[in-house]
Formats: sequence, structure tokens, C-alpha cells
Amino acid sequence: PCVDRLLLSDLCDVKMDGLAQDILSDLVEDACLGLCFEVHRAVKQGYFFLDDTDQESMRDFEIVDQPGLDVFGQVYNQWKNKECVCPNCSRSIAASRFAPHLEKCLGMGRNSSRIANRRIVTGNNTNNKSESDQEDNDDVNDNDWSYGAEKKGDVVMLLYFFNLFVVTLNIRLYQMKFTIT
Amino acid sequence: MSKDSQMRAAINQKLIEMGERERLKELLRAKLVECGWKDQLKAHCKDVIKEKGLEHVTVEDLVTDVTPKGRALVPDSVKKELLQRIRAFLAQHATL
Repeated sequence: PCVDRLLLSDLCDVKMDGLAQDILSDLVEDACLGLCFEVHRAVKQGYFFLDDTDQESMRDFEIVDQPGLDVFGQVYNQWKNKECVCPNCSRSIAASRFAPHLEKCLGMGRNSSRIANRRIVTGNNTNNKSESDQEDNDDVNDNDWSYGAEKKGDVVMLLYFFNLFVVTLNIRLYQMKFTIT
Repeated sequence: MSKDSQMRAAINQKLIEMGERERLKELLRAKLVECGWKDQLKAHCKDVIKEKGLEHVTVEDLVTDVTPKGRALVPDSVKKELLQRIRAFLAQHATL
């Protein structure tokens, strides 16, 4: 009986070892497959042989660390103070004001029609040949390009719709009262 | 299913459910990188790729060539450590 029991536990150990080996074998296979997939992707995406680049080329792509330049060596605030010529009205506009100006000028921006309408409504008091100052004022009120500036018109519209909603709600509630009682 | 394979299936399931298999996988991966196995095998991959050509190499090419070599290159110390952990898990969770 003692011998039997010993043999049984040995057998269990052997079984356990076998199982452990099999589990390990699976894990190693997973690791190999993982590597194959990784390598295959690197090959197909074109970056597998990247670290074999010669010294010369590596120097060409070194990170640039100089003031006024980005990591690629390009000057990044070069266009801040430049002036651009509008292709539509041929005026000279500052670079930072160029995008909003183009919106109005081409009549394609979000608020360009509203502003155009406003101009028509306020009549022909203002000259066509107005200075760029006037247009800049409009730009400042434009929601698209500046934060925190609210157009009066928008607020009025909002209040109007809200009012409409409240009134409709009240009517509905009033109607319901009638049907319940 | 024999009792044996039943037990095996049960243990494998437990391994996965308890997250131990994932942990073991990560441990193995880390050890293999540490001991240079990954770099060795990567270098071997380069040979395979140069042989088959960059454009035409398939996953199968790599797998059939790399897997047997990969298995053989695993250092004994790594094997020992993993086996230890696995046996510990089995001792805890294997019921006969």
C-alpha cells in the first residue's frame, strides 16, 4: 500500500511536469509567432532595415536643436509678420488676418452672408473703399476666430426661440389640463 | 474525453481566466528580450528576408524558418524560471 501511494504521487508529478512543459511549449510558440508577425509587418511597412542606415545619412536626419528652428530645421515663425495679397480684391492683408479676410471677401465663410446682409441693411452710408480697419472690426466680432466675443444678434435669436419654446410648452400643458379633468 | 485531457482543459481554462497565462506570456517576452534572444532571431530573420526578397517574403516563410530555431535558442535559465512559475500555479490550482 505505501509503495502504491508513492508511485501514485510520482505519477502525478510526472503528469504535472509534462503539463508544465506543454504549457511552456505553447508560450514559446506564441513568442515566436509574435516575433514573426512583428518582423513581417516591419518588412511590409518598410521600416525593418531602418537601423542599418549608414552613418552619413543618419547625420542628415539628426534632430535640430537651435533657437527659432523646429526639430526639422525649418523656421517656424517666419510667416507671422508677412503680408499677403488677396487674390480676390488685390489688397495687402496681414498673414494672421488673411483667413478671416478671405472668408468675407469670397463670401464663403459661416457668417459672411450675415455680414453682407447687415451691410445692405445699414445702407450705403459706408463707402465701398473703406479702410481695412472697418473690416477688422467685423473680424473681431466674428465667433469663428476669436473666443468670448458674442454677437448681439445671436443672443436675441436665442432668447426668441427660448421664448417660443416656453410658450408652446405652456399651451401644451394647458391643453392637457383640459383633457384630464 | 479522458480524465487526463479533462483535467488539462480545466487547468488551461483556469490559466486564462485568472490572467496567469497573459502574465506568463509577458514574463517570457521580457526575459527573451533581456537575454538577447529577440535580437538573435531578428538577425536570422534578416537572412531569410534577404534570401526570399523583401517584396515576396510571407508570414509563412518566416514562421517555418524562425519557429524551430526560436524554440532551440531559448536559454535554459529562462525555461527553468518559467517552468517554476507554471508548476507553482499547477500545485495551487490543479485538483485531482
